[in-house]
Amino acid sequence: MIEAKVRAHLGEFQLNVELRGEGVTCLAGKNGSGKSTLLRVLAGFLPVDEGNVLVGGTNISNCSAEKRGIILVTPASCFPHLRVDSHIMWGANLKKLRPSDEYVSRVKSGLGIDFAGTVGNLSRGMRQRVSLATALLSSPRAILVDEAFLGLHDREAFIRAYGTLAKEAGVDVIFTSQDEEDGRLGDHLYVMNDGVAAPKY
Amino acid sequence: MNWLRLISIASLLLLLVPVFILLYYGLGPFRDAAGYSAEVFRSIELTLFSSALAVVVDFILFTPLAFYLARGNDRVAETLVDIPISVPHPIIGVALLIVDSPVTPTGKFLLGLHINFYNSILGLVAALVIMSAPIYVKSMLPYFESKDPSPEEFATGMGASKLRTLFSIVLPNSFDGLASSSLVSMSRALSEFGSISIIAFYVLQYPFYGVSPASVTIYEFFSGNMSGGLNAAVTASAVMILVAIPITLAGHFLRRRTSR
Repeated sequence: MIEAKVRAHLGEFQLNVELRGEGVTCLAGKNGSGKSTLLRVLAGFLPVDEGNVLVGGTNISNCSAEKRGIILVTPASCFPHLRVDSHIMWGANLKKLRPSDEYVSRVKSGLGIDFAGTVGNLSRGMRQRVSLATALLSSPRAILVDEAFLGLHDREAFIRAYGTLAKEAGVDVIFTSQDEEDGRLGDHLYVMNDGVAAPKY
Repeated sequence: MNWLRLISIASLLLLLVPVFILLYYGLGPFRDAAGYSAEVFRSIELTLFSSALAVVVDFILFTPLAFYLARGNDRVAETLVDIPISVPHPIIGVALLIVDSPVTPTGKFLLGLHINFYNSILGLVAALVIMSAPIYVKSMLPYFESKDPSPEEFATGMGASKLRTLFSIVLPNSFDGLASSSLVSMSRALSEFGSISIIAFYVLQYPFYGVSPASVTIYEFFSGNMSGGLNAAVTASAVMILVAIPITLAGHFLRRRTSR
């Protein structure tokens, strides 16, 4: 479970959020509402003025982004020079994890990765699938998906499949959307407006 | 009439006048065989070799600094990088002499390790590194700044350190920026005179025994220490320009391509 109670001043923008996300959480809101800012705060890429971020009950507020075990995935989160199979194992190899071939195959088929080649030559949607698989196979505590579900042709089915795989692996997922209706694809929905996240369910 | 364009072209021509004059007189009316003798080509070989070596050192030692400055927002370090090229260049030659002098503790230490800068390829390369590294860093800095940090943040989230991210993720996708910055800093190294005329007027090592860097050789012609005089100096300068221009142009062409 990700728990955050944070306040942050970022230029003119103020973030004031209290959030508890377990399983798959949808963070909905208009452009500029603070969704991406919140995810960057949770991932440790932006400082907070006060408050704490807890993952699985552990306070990670003072941990660097490298040590948090929280992966931020955006549409540009990929390593263009790698081939698909090397890419999806990159994080796992870094942590010296050895996921079974069967599990890797299941993740690949579940996320529609039935292609190969150099990642930089793939379409945007293909790259996003590869990045999301890479994040999942590296066994983080949480995955924050900032717009990286957009543009997938089977978006709803993909989010459901991703959520199922993440829950199996014990990984919490928070994804952003501009449409509150996407809340039904997750377990919880928060709606952000002017830097404040309001829980809906 | 586009006055801005006219003024720009006029100012550009003003900058290029010395180059055109050297090329015209060096390859035409003032042409002197001493200016393209085997000795001149040996000195150009030494200059190309030492400049290329300096760029390799720039890449290894200063790419992490450029990346740190691009992502770290350390304005003090960014200002300090400019110091070597903002002082009169002979000062760097004198400084290297002092660093490696037998009367200073650093010199005693280095000489104890058989590291000698004076009239050596090592000293020549050291001076060229100091003079070209700021250009290399200042060229890589905007390149790194222009790169989307998302892949780096993605790698960081998976537990990769900054250095690991630089070498595993950023550099394999930065060939164009590295190539253009290397060529731009190599151009700077090729043109260096002030520091190397003090620390390595000539080098005393194989395979360049007794050979001076090209800029020093041109000065030697000009000062009358080498036969050929002004005509040979102008001819050797024209030859050096013909060698350096493709490297400079390639660097800037690659930089324009990467900034698009």
